[in-house]
Amino acid sequence: MLTRKSCLWVTLALLAFLVLSLPVGAEEKIIKIGSLYPMTGRPGIYGLDSVDAAEMAIDEINSKGGVNGYKIQLINTDSKAKPDYSVMVAKRYITQDKVNFLFGVVSSAVGLAVTEVSKQHKKIFIGTDHASTQLTTDKLQPYYFRVSNNTFQSMAAGAKYLKELQKTKPWVTIAYIGPDYAYGHDQWNELKYNLDRFGVKYKAVGEYWPKLFAPDYTAFISTIINEKPDILVAGFWGGDTVAFIKQAQPYGLFSKTLYFSPDGGGNYELMAAMGADLPEGLVLSGRHHNNWPDTELNREYVNKFFKRTGRYPTYAAEGAYTGVYAIAEAVKKVGNPDDTEALVKAFEGMKIKLPEDPEGFTSYIDPKSHQIVQEQAIGVTEPNDKFPPAKLMLGKWKVYKAEDLLPPADYIEQLKKK
Amino acid sequence: MDPSFILMQFLSGLMMATLLFLVASGLTLIFGVGNVFNFAHGSFYMIGAYLAFQVVSSCHANFWLSVLAAALGAGALGMFAEATFLRRIYGRSQEGGFQILLTYSFILIIDDLVKLIWGTEYKSLQRPEGFKGAVNFFGLTIPSYNLAIIGIGILVVVVAWLILSRTRPGRIARAAALDREMLGSLGINVPLTMTLVFGIATAMGGFAGALAAPLRSVSPGAGIEVIIDSLIVVVIGGMGNFWGAWLGALILGEVNAFAIATAPDWASLFSYLVMALTLIFKPEGIFSSRRVRKV
Amino acid sequence: MKTPEAIKEFGFWSLFFLIFGLAPILDNSEYHLMLATHILIWGMFAVAFNMLFGVTGMLSFGQALYYGVGAYSVGLLVRGFGDTWFLPSIIVGLLVAVAVSVLLGLLVIRVSGVYFTVLTLAFGQLAWQVTLKWYHFTGGDDGIQSIIPPGLLGNNRVYYWFTLALVALSILALKRLVNSPLGLTLRCIRQNPERVRFLGRRVRRNELRVYVVSSFFAALAGCLMAGADNSIHPDMFYWTTSGEVILMAVIGGIGQFFGPFIGAAVIIIIQDYVGARTEYWSLIIGLIMMTMVLLFPQGLVGEIRSLRTRLVSGERNRS
Repeated sequence: MLTRKSCLWVTLALLAFLVLSLPVGAEEKIIKIGSLYPMTGRPGIYGLDSVDAAEMAIDEINSKGGVNGYKIQLINTDSKAKPDYSVMVAKRYITQDKVNFLFGVVSSAVGLAVTEVSKQHKKIFIGTDHASTQLTTDKLQPYYFRVSNNTFQSMAAGAKYLKELQKTKPWVTIAYIGPDYAYGHDQWNELKYNLDRFGVKYKAVGEYWPKLFAPDYTAFISTIINEKPDILVAGFWGGDTVAFIKQAQPYGLFSKTLYFSPDGGGNYELMAAMGADLPEGLVLSGRHHNNWPDTELNREYVNKFFKRTGRYPTYAAEGAYTGVYAIAEAVKKVGNPDDTEALVKAFEGMKIKLPEDPEGFTSYIDPKSHQIVQEQAIGVTEPNDKFPPAKLMLGKWKVYKAEDLLPPADYIEQLKKK
Repeated sequence: MDPSFILMQFLSGLMMATLLFLVASGLTLIFGVGNVFNFAHGSFYMIGAYLAFQVVSSCHANFWLSVLAAALGAGALGMFAEATFLRRIYGRSQEGGFQILLTYSFILIIDDLVKLIWGTEYKSLQRPEGFKGAVNFFGLTIPSYNLAIIGIGILVVVVAWLILSRTRPGRIARAAALDREMLGSLGINVPLTMTLVFGIATAMGGFAGALAAPLRSVSPGAGIEVIIDSLIVVVIGGMGNFWGAWLGALILGEVNAFAIATAPDWASLFSYLVMALTLIFKPEGIFSSRRVRKV
Repeated sequence: MKTPEAIKEFGFWSLFFLIFGLAPILDNSEYHLMLATHILIWGMFAVAFNMLFGVTGMLSFGQALYYGVGAYSVGLLVRGFGDTWFLPSIIVGLLVAVAVSVLLGLLVIRVSGVYFTVLTLAFGQLAWQVTLKWYHFTGGDDGIQSIIPPGLLGNNRVYYWFTLALVALSILALKRLVNSPLGLTLRCIRQNPERVRFLGRRVRRNELRVYVVSSFFAALAGCLMAGADNSIHPDMFYWTTSGEVILMAVIGGIGQFFGPFIGAAVIIIIQDYVGARTEYWSLIIGLIMMTMVLLFPQGLVGEIRSLRTRLVSGERNRS
């Protein structure tokens, strides 16, 4: 017994030694970015894509000599999508690893917790892939910037789409299904607000709130079929979209009702996971599309990502890619990554040309809300096998002007009062 | 509510109940027979889904064959886990606590192993040939795959009943649930029985995972999502009771189906409310066959 | 006269004050200060949890419920009425936890063994789901941010000393309790409930008492954590939080009063270390957990102790 135990102690010691001896960091002039992406569970795919894309951007910049003599370096810690753990890691980044920027985050809840740390330590936090509008409205603090669209922007575009649709295909009734947490509720409230704002006449006939990651939607589907809404707005993301569509399809839901998911519904992992099973005619969008806009920059970005990783990116990746370039841009303007206040000024109003910008438009960061302002395109699923394993991609694009999608002042006031 | 909608919701509830039951039956079986609480049961469900995906995508095998392979694979892994690890803690004082911890460590390890093998991308399985469409009757549209699953659920119940009541292995299993020591003195190889039962239980988890795969996304973390629900089923029905699991699943499925139709706002709470109510009145579940508390 | 038990206790306290008293003076790192604060809070949580598991033999998989109740009492009151409510809200949180634990306790102690475990788990999950669902009141999954303790306590260093004092007092109180007649009764219940009943002690009433005590300190941990992290979240109610505290107790050693505290320190340091270096943290934690359960069921403290006993007796045999 004793010998077996001593064997084990030796193994443990070896293991500890291996872990201890992993390299932690280098010296010289570097811009250190501390990112907090989840690498496990359902959102793991977004974390993986984000880290790969951020590293791709870093390699591009560093191979051209870096920024003002600085090389960029990324350290990522699996946030486990847990806010309390993320707070700890963010504090470690700031006080131990001495990062220049906090970065990333897929879940809005983690985003809200980390922006609190950023505020207290006056350390800039670049948000790349969390959608809660709060972060750039009522919960905005001076050191936070977001380089991807929030749900309000998606829903404003969605409301415009639905308004136009009424001209060609008169619809009246609308229902909503989305995960029962902040992200799901925000989308529905914001869509209704925007429909009212644009003077769209509609009748809401039902809201359905399955829990996040619910495995089974059968009873929701049969209830919705009984309700027969003209439009079904869905607020799912990732695996929940996949499960819902798979389960609803044989019921014939999509032939009777238009499936509409303008925020996270059109992310590439849906097309990749469903292949030929994805129904045609779903109206979806996301924060970046692999096949729109058809610009040199976007094609190059998508192809480079594919060459690097062997898979096509989800939209999370482009957010991270953008974030690194925005940091490089700001440091270039200021000259060093340490002058936080000057960097904040540099981010405010920054113009940056991105893969997701169509010809003639350049994304910029709104100096007041610290929110990136971007065009949004909504598409319809149609056959397209250029991005395997997907068999369908989005097409028949409708593009919405960036300026029209920002939350109006009275809406922000209303949020702040809450 | 018109009658055809009531029938439709009933079938939806039955479908949810069947999948819940298929997962929970393994959990309750190993608890009832072996007194083992396998917290990692959901992980075997997840492994079943991944194995089915792997078999279909790399061997282009028939879907039903892949379900079989997934069940066998999950069962084999379960037997390995039982014989190598779990067996060592039987009979230890506070065994229950250590069982939960050990199986909890299985969850953590299996989660990462799955990530190492299959990555974090979502995998997907198609419905089998012949079950892609829907069946129309009484003006209702019901997906044929859903009907197939309901059918399989009924089949599992009948077969399990036959085995448990009519065959010698079934009687041994029931006897093991009552008194393991007595069984040993009757000349039955108890450790082997335990390993086999554990294998059958985890195979049922894998079987359920594979069957559910065409309806869900196969992704990391899938095990966690089902374990809590199946736990509720098992608790409502009475832990270790096969029929209790069946009844618990049925109650949960139907309550959810009709509650969603009438009060969709509160959908995420129904399962827990049903459970809380049951436990307030019957803390050991509806079908508890034995007295839980001796003191 | 000094018993071995008293020597051990003296050893723990001198080590405790040596490390936690000197560390923040010698080490200036704010991060290490935060780690130390976390270790203190989780350590107390784990010791209180072990009152149930290690001392009485009741494995609760739902102590996260009380941890969450404490945290949310502080969070909600501070958000609603301002930071001057921070200290009163801790008292409110503790009172709520006591009330909830008495009610729930009456329900769950009707069963024992794995049934008790599963029942506590189920009610913990119920609380988690309600917190998520009751969006307008609790803030749902967004949680509550900007929970800054008032005045001097807002300073991390001052807050650390505050935590240290409360944790030390709590552990002292728990230790007293274990050595009291109630503690003795509880240990007897673990070994032979039947006999305790014959001796005229009420098993359930004593189980309820220890359940309430353990929950009380779990809530205190939650309250303190709200002030330490400045933000709270429904995950505090989730079963993984209960799982973590069980893990700490087992790693440290459930048979030892101070074991869980050591376990908490080890786990927090390992998590921080492993998490910073690999994304396969869950595999590593899982392997450590499996190793401990299979080979070192007495936990670090227990194993070291029995190793020492073995060595001493070995020497005696040789001479």
